[in-house]
Amino acid sequence: MNSSKQQHRVLTLLYLAPTALILLVFIVIPIIYTLYLSFFDWNLIAPTKNFVGWRNYLTIFTDPVNQKVLLNTLGYIGLLLVLNFAIPYVISIIVQFFIHKMQGVYKIIFFIPSLFSLVVGAMVFAWIMNPVSGPIALLLRQIGFTLPNWTNSGGLAIVMLCLITNWKVFGYNFVLLLTGLGSIPQNLIDAAQVDHIPKWRLIWDVVLPLNKSMAFYVLILTIVQGLQYVFTPINVITQGGPYYGSSNVLYHTYLNAFVLYKTGNASALAILTFVIFLILLFLEIKFVEGRDADAPI
Amino acid sequence: MRPFKANGWHLLLLVICLALILPVLFMVANSFKTLQDSYHTMWQLIPLHPTLKNYQTLSRQVALLRLIWNTFFMATLVTLGKLSTGLLAAYAFQYFHFRGKRWVYFAFVATIFIPFTVTMIPNYLVIAKANLLNTALGVALPQLCDATGIMIFLKAMAKIPRSLIESAYLDQIPTHRLLMNIIIPILRPSIISIGAIFFINSWNEYVWPTLILKDKSSFTLPLALQNYISSEGGTNFPLAMALATIMIIVPLAIYMVFQRYILNSISNSGLK
Repeated sequence: MNSSKQQHRVLTLLYLAPTALILLVFIVIPIIYTLYLSFFDWNLIAPTKNFVGWRNYLTIFTDPVNQKVLLNTLGYIGLLLVLNFAIPYVISIIVQFFIHKMQGVYKIIFFIPSLFSLVVGAMVFAWIMNPVSGPIALLLRQIGFTLPNWTNSGGLAIVMLCLITNWKVFGYNFVLLLTGLGSIPQNLIDAAQVDHIPKWRLIWDVVLPLNKSMAFYVLILTIVQGLQYVFTPINVITQGGPYYGSSNVLYHTYLNAFVLYKTGNASALAILTFVIFLILLFLEIKFVEGRDADAPI
Repeated sequence: MRPFKANGWHLLLLVICLALILPVLFMVANSFKTLQDSYHTMWQLIPLHPTLKNYQTLSRQVALLRLIWNTFFMATLVTLGKLSTGLLAAYAFQYFHFRGKRWVYFAFVATIFIPFTVTMIPNYLVIAKANLLNTALGVALPQLCDATGIMIFLKAMAKIPRSLIESAYLDQIPTHRLLMNIIIPILRPSIISIGAIFFINSWNEYVWPTLILKDKSSFTLPLALQNYISSEGGTNFPLAMALATIMIIVPLAIYMVFQRYILNSISNSGLK
């Protein structure tokens, strides 16, 4: 009996070891090391690192460029929530409750762009939205308008970069939200229809509360994934410009680490992002707790 | 009244379909036009004078087969890694009893919420030190496991009748045989669907490979495409579009074959 127990323990370790080892070496230890680096002044190459205490963190909040980047990040979050969360949510409600056929077809078509690389998306949108020779610019010129040169304005560039991620993420989030709506018990919907409750009341009072946990999951995902997704079009199209106008905290971290070689600054920014994401994770667990009852283990 | 209203909704949904799909169609169309034609006949979805010139130029400028092979090899490594570590871990969570199981599971799942910036500097240093820069292994190594896979496999395993596993235990079938001969065949749909998703994501991966693959001969398709895009303007779009068209064939083909599996497992990943 004892030896079988021993065997059981060895097997458990053996089966968990590959995942645990990779997570330890490439996630846990790196996080600790990044935290360590955030207290030093270093350039990624020099043999010595200078301890600077909290200075890198102070820089984040006092340096005007960093402040600008943090503000941009808030802008990104707001826009991503509208484009990648609110709009897909409205559309998924329409598809689930307001039409009666073709649901499957829309699902299949909407999902297609999420199969493609954001580099492809960035390239195609750089063509479509080219302020001089792109199709939209030409179309606008024919009716007497001009497409503003969005690469010269941080705010417009942010909108454009968010639209590119929206192209990719829209269908993915739509499928998730539609799944949530589809799992609402049909008899609740039917009952409301028998009682002649107006549809918008049904949606507001029954559907939205019942779909709360899925919606919150997608909302958190939109922020966490969206800020990382938007990195690719930033790097391909604007490199954070004009003058950091379209940079966000993740891109600025990369820029500090691998272009400016300010490892300490980059690490402090990375730790800040990590803490924000941890808070979001905590919120996810707290809000989505209702689902915990049938958690897999 | 009602069908009329529904038609309005269908019109809106059709517009969304077009907004999502037309950019891709224009991209493919332009890849078969000369630079002049792509400018003068921008709205022509079927090229007036279809030409393979861009593809020929492309194959002269870059080693296309090499690029495709690099991308395929890296994506395969990542996919096989994620599938095998995920299956093993999910098996342990489902069928073994150990202390702190919930916490370990929670720690695994929490890794989904970690921004890549917080691990990229140390990971870059480790891969550089291990002399793995410019190699597929260097790209794949830090991402050989994925909590999403574990979650999906766990859900699928929970549906396997307990009695089947217990009778296997009674017959003293060793765990690895149970996993190989019983569980994996039953889990085939989940393995295919999540495997397809892992492969597509890895095929498209951009951020981490740009740090690791600096040498052009080690480039994957997204990195090569990025080289054809110039932020200062002057991008030869038909050429870039030809490369992008080559790049999207593989994910599209996978989707056409496994569409139902893929959509199901996306749905599943959200429903806990």
